[in-house]
Amino acid sequence: MDSENSACGNPNPNPTLGPSKLMLAFRFLRALSLVHRTTPASSRTCRGRRIERAAYASMAYSAGTGRGWSRAVLRRLHHRARRRAVAPRRLSTTAGNRAEALRQLVPGGAGMDYCTLLEETADYIKCLSMQVELMQGIVDSSSSYGP
Amino acid sequence: MEPRGSSGVGSGNSGTYTPEIAESLRFEEEIQSLIDPSFDASSAAGGSFTALLGLPANQAVELLHHPGPGEPPASAATDTLRLPFGCSSTFVERAARFSVFATDDSPASSSGGGLSPGLKAEPPDSDSPPTLPAPAGKPRRPSKRKECEKSKAKAVAKKSKSAEENTSAAKPAAEENTSGDKLPYVHVRARRGQATDSHSLAERARREKINARMKLLQELVPGCSKITGTALVLDEIINHVQSLQRQVEFLSMKLAAVNPRIDFSGLDHILSAECGPLAVASGCGGGASDPAMWASDTAASTGGIRRMPAPPQIWHLDVVHPQQSSTVWENNGVAHPHFLLSPATSLVGYDPASSVPLNSNRLKTEL
Repeated sequence: MDSENSACGNPNPNPTLGPSKLMLAFRFLRALSLVHRTTPASSRTCRGRRIERAAYASMAYSAGTGRGWSRAVLRRLHHRARRRAVAPRRLSTTAGNRAEALRQLVPGGAGMDYCTLLEETADYIKCLSMQVELMQGIVDSSSSYGP
Repeated sequence: MEPRGSSGVGSGNSGTYTPEIAESLRFEEEIQSLIDPSFDASSAAGGSFTALLGLPANQAVELLHHPGPGEPPASAATDTLRLPFGCSSTFVERAARFSVFATDDSPASSSGGGLSPGLKAEPPDSDSPPTLPAPAGKPRRPSKRKECEKSKAKAVAKKSKSAEENTSAAKPAAEENTSGDKLPYVHVRARRGQATDSHSLAERARREKINARMKLLQELVPGCSKITGTALVLDEIINHVQSLQRQVEFLSMKLAAVNPRIDFSGLDHILSAECGPLAVASGCGGGASDPAMWASDTAASTGGIRRMPAPPQIWHLDVVHPQQSSTVWENNGVAHPHFLLSPATSLVGYDPASSVPLNSNRLKTEL
């Protein structure tokens, strides 16, 4: 799943406007079908985790390497793929300082200054919402078809 | 200070305004070298006088061309101010007209409302002023104006305390050009009663940047525009990001059950019709899992997909025709995955990881 995405270059036509929905859907659907093909039907949680990683991967690839958060996501993914570790979940509710909490939430946020952090957060939110829209659409369309 | 104005002027101004521009240049240079206490006494117009300093001569000419209050530039204005320069009346006239111009175009910013609203209001307005009489001068202008404005800002700020609304009116208009030309610097003029050293200026620029980004974020996050106070807004943003991440997790669990099976039998001819270069790669025997070709595929697909703004609908129809067994989403006639369908039809054809030939990919949704 990661290798298939990594073969793509950085074809982001509009880095300032955000990733294109088309490319996002393109990558995600491909990754999704791949996951379904490769994982055994029994391990649903495992498959769910893989799908989540695929979602982030397709998001990051669509955003291109012009964004700090997408680079961090891809870095994390590639490293995890090598070390076979599960992507950690970030829970930052305990962080008193809000900037710190935001840094934990946004991938790659730790190494940024505040100004860049805000910018990256905006882009990250845009991409996340697009991804959520896409996934919701897939779920809806598939569920409305079946029994 | 560098004589940047002359080069900017010489590059493409209309000849009729050259004498006035030369005058304004002389004014600017004199002001630079002048520590004139009487300058403060020329309150409002003096403020607008300094306001015009931030602009290169081309901008002054622009203002002259602007069909604003409609006062002829060379008219002898009532010069009630004791300015130490000759021919100052026309210059002040221009300056006054400029501040009116700024006020007209961006009423929000003229009330001393800081840089960011001016910045936001001005870029859309920067299109409305008439085309510059010196388009050729423009490329050279930014690079020169960069150093000059910064030094001017500090010099002028140190020498004169101008009225606040005039400087803030000047700032947005000056910023309009910088943001319009997309300069890396944001030039900040010191406001009345505020510190003018470089550190404070830089800090203020940084703060304005941060405020601008916060405003963007507020627009992105639903329900955030009503909240006042940075801390609460940040809380809201954090909550939103967390909720989005949770949604991704939840939906991915749901998708683990959904197997998107898509029928792409009609894919080939669609692709050859829509995306020319892709047709080559769509050697859809499914075979070549060549990463190099794959990379060029995606690059070409970007170009190809980019080239077709409208045709997702066409794809939808085309896919309907050739195949008997319909895809899930066709059956539903769901409008939403409209864009889903087209990329779906396009991409599975290129799946290099699948060793199964394309045509045998008859899939149906399982739930």
